[in-house]
Amino acid sequence: MTATSAYQESTATRRRSDLRARRSWRTTKNDLMTGLMIGAVALVAIPLVAVMWSVIARGAAIAFQHFPDFFTAAVPVVSRAPGPGMGPAILGTLLVTGGATLIAVPIGILGAVYLHEYGANKQLARLVRFMATVMTGVPSVVMGLFVYLIWTLTFGYSAFGGALALACLMLPVVIGATEQMLRLVPSQLREAAYALGTTKSRTILTVVLPAALPGIVSGALLAVARAAGETAPLLFAVGAAHEFNLHLFSEANTALSVQIFANANSSFTASQDRAWAAALTLVLLTFVVTLVARLFTARLALKR
Amino acid sequence: MYKMIAVSALAALCVAAGCKKKDDGGAGGSASPMTKEDKGADKAPESGGAVTINGSGSTFQKPYQEIALDTFTKANAGVKINYGGGGSGKGRQDLADQVVDFAGADSPYKDADLAKNKGGDVLYFPILLGAITVSFNVAGVDKLQLSAATIAKIFQRDIKKWNDKDIAADNPGAKLPDADIVVAHRSDGSGTTDNFTKYLDKAAKDVWKLKSGATVEWPSDTQAGNGNPGVAQIVKSTPGAVGYVDLSDAKASGLKFATVKNQAGKFIEPTADSASAAGDGIDVKDNLLFSALDPGGDAAYPITYQSWVIVYAKQTDHAKGAALKSYLKYLVSDAQAQLKSLDFAPLPKGLADKAVAQLDKIQVP
Amino acid sequence: MQLADLRGNKQYADRVFSALAVAAAGLVLLILGMIAVIMTRRAWPAFGSEFFTSTKWSTADHVFGALPFVWGTLYTALIAIVIALPISLGVALFITQIAPPVLKKPMVYLIDLLAVVPSVVFGLWGVLVLSQHFGLGRSFLTAGIILAIMIIPIITSLSREVIETTPPSEKEAALALGATRWEMIGASVIPHSKGGLVGAVMLGLGRAMGETIAAALVIGSIPRITLNPFAAGDSMPAVIANQWGEADGPHKAALIALAVALFVITIAVNLIATGIVQRSMKRSRGA
Repeated sequence: MTATSAYQESTATRRRSDLRARRSWRTTKNDLMTGLMIGAVALVAIPLVAVMWSVIARGAAIAFQHFPDFFTAAVPVVSRAPGPGMGPAILGTLLVTGGATLIAVPIGILGAVYLHEYGANKQLARLVRFMATVMTGVPSVVMGLFVYLIWTLTFGYSAFGGALALACLMLPVVIGATEQMLRLVPSQLREAAYALGTTKSRTILTVVLPAALPGIVSGALLAVARAAGETAPLLFAVGAAHEFNLHLFSEANTALSVQIFANANSSFTASQDRAWAAALTLVLLTFVVTLVARLFTARLALKR
Repeated sequence: MYKMIAVSALAALCVAAGCKKKDDGGAGGSASPMTKEDKGADKAPESGGAVTINGSGSTFQKPYQEIALDTFTKANAGVKINYGGGGSGKGRQDLADQVVDFAGADSPYKDADLAKNKGGDVLYFPILLGAITVSFNVAGVDKLQLSAATIAKIFQRDIKKWNDKDIAADNPGAKLPDADIVVAHRSDGSGTTDNFTKYLDKAAKDVWKLKSGATVEWPSDTQAGNGNPGVAQIVKSTPGAVGYVDLSDAKASGLKFATVKNQAGKFIEPTADSASAAGDGIDVKDNLLFSALDPGGDAAYPITYQSWVIVYAKQTDHAKGAALKSYLKYLVSDAQAQLKSLDFAPLPKGLADKAVAQLDKIQVP
Repeated sequence: MQLADLRGNKQYADRVFSALAVAAAGLVLLILGMIAVIMTRRAWPAFGSEFFTSTKWSTADHVFGALPFVWGTLYTALIAIVIALPISLGVALFITQIAPPVLKKPMVYLIDLLAVVPSVVFGLWGVLVLSQHFGLGRSFLTAGIILAIMIIPIITSLSREVIETTPPSEKEAALALGATRWEMIGASVIPHSKGGLVGAVMLGLGRAMGETIAAALVIGSIPRITLNPFAAGDSMPAVIANQWGEADGPHKAALIALAVALFVITIAVNLIATGIVQRSMKRSRGA
């Protein structure tokens, strides 16, 4: 055999033993599905880009004109007058959403801990689990009404009332997401901790929760993002102020979501401009919060 | 681990306690400011001894409230006023529950509801009149004249095309296209709808079938928009559309509106002046309740309606009551000059005088 | 020698913790219970026979029939889930299985960005773009699309977290047997994640049925029962939000009655969904 023909023969052999799957209906199906998944991503990207485009195009000019005027000035009293000012609304959103998060997230995590670690399949746990899912379907306007009846009627308008309403909206999402995540923590981790003599509560706090942390934070962030954008409950519980109000428990306040709703639905371009700028502000604010939270948890979580 | 939890719980409690300051419905909104969120935002000066008055209700009068309270609070340093809108029904409910100090409403309490008012008897202070336009968007048509019966037929879908004989009868000599009419109305409950339909109930008695109210059972082949701007937006962007929009929003959206036939038989354009003229022809009761719809008078625009500020006759807090009385006086007297710039009509002189006189009925402790 | 008690001596803290956990869970029941009681009391006068049977909603005649709104809520939620579920799943699978590592983080943040847009903005965008620009008008379909866009982040985010926890050993086992990537997903990822995926979808569904403002702006507010997705309709949260501000006594009671009805329907839908899922899980486990 000559050198060249031997080479030719060995490459032929190499080609024949190419281990990649030969084209068949299975590979076609695989490619089709991959294509569909990429398509799904594209479908999601479209509305996102479109909405962000609208928000930025209409809002950026006003929001960043004479920075930081827009973020610190008070809301113009006369809504059809041009000019900046969403400062009190930003403060209000922070107060109301922050308050709601402080209430809903710890309670939600604790509740999920009960459901998965203590309750398992007991009657009470099954009932609570079911009801938590039902609670996600309560419309925000009904929550607002509820808080109006039990809080605002007695204590008047306040940021806390809004926080209560939003917390009620956030709670089931946090519980639901957290419980899913707890379910996925492998039991070996728990068993190892028990074997070392750790009490149940300590195991949960130091082993289970950190293991589930990224997922819990995802759920919490979803809840926070929703709460920050809710309008209806705040209209019932918070009132409508246009100046800065630092007090959590007294006096009417305002929030970005309320301002967006009130102004965007107006015939006057000055109001509309402010509404879009407020929308941009809200998106930026919430996005920064989610970014920070995710970066933070990347550090705290147990490495998978 | 537990230490961390305990410390953060303690910190949260401290923060909450530091903020907890319930304003006991009186002067004094100062409290130890919260230490958390402090992004370098400007803070309002700590107002020791400031009074805050809250109002809510009619969105129709909201632009007026905004301008009035802006000038009033600038001139009276110790007073803060918030007006939340939300609809006449909400305002009346909030006042009944004493969550607000005054309510803005385009229509009064129903008799059955009066008993539910926690604070006792109420007083009605009319503050403005305004016009509802019948705005349209028809290619090639710049001027349109409509009578009440025609309007009724259009909005209940008896008339479906622009070149219908009834519209033609109202507009002799005009060239009307053979186009479909798209009716736009409100999706949300509204005092504008209430008064518009009340007008049709009155002026087109035998024709209008849909009755009146803040929400109406509109035929299903119509379109609904949210708020006056929502209806305006539908009219503006849909060829062949017609809708009822209050004057301010119609003008701001650049809509064309029809002249409407009044009781005297004249077709009148909706303006602040013709709304004022409507005020001259109304019949006011002792408690200052009235209806400006379909009034007499040559120059009166027939679809004109009104708005009141409602307060309790018996005030419970001295500082708030005094501030409220002062603000009300401003609303019915000096502030009236600002109404025209908002496309509203000021109260006729006789009515304004009666309103000022009624102020004496407010008892402040 | 006494057997050492290995439990450690923090028993008091342990009991406090578990008590707190129970209390937190109980809070859910408490809140829901309060909502149910308070709402039902206020809604009582409206629960006549016509509430359950009539399709007419007239304030002037004091006739309040809930059916068109029930239809609107269910129909738009259905449209939303039909659109959102495949897309969310596709995106979650893409991020976890197909995307190169450098793309993963940015994609997660992109989905976060979608979640962060306030519902009001979606509603307004829907009015301006979907109904005007694309001529879809205010209809069931427009509302369904907007709702889908709003629940996609929820379902995607949670699905992604769930899928991430698939044990690599299972995935590698499938691949080692010669499965294509899609077959591997079907054989290992999906069975492992099924429970979590259902949970994610239920959360999304709840949101779709309860979404107020965005739906109110684009659904058209014409109460009617029809299969035509391009027709305008109305939904329970939308009509409550729209008509509350100007409602009088009996009208308000009717609106609250709608809220109670929505409550009951949410329970029913969840019951049915859980039932279906449990039956399918039993079947797959029994095999």
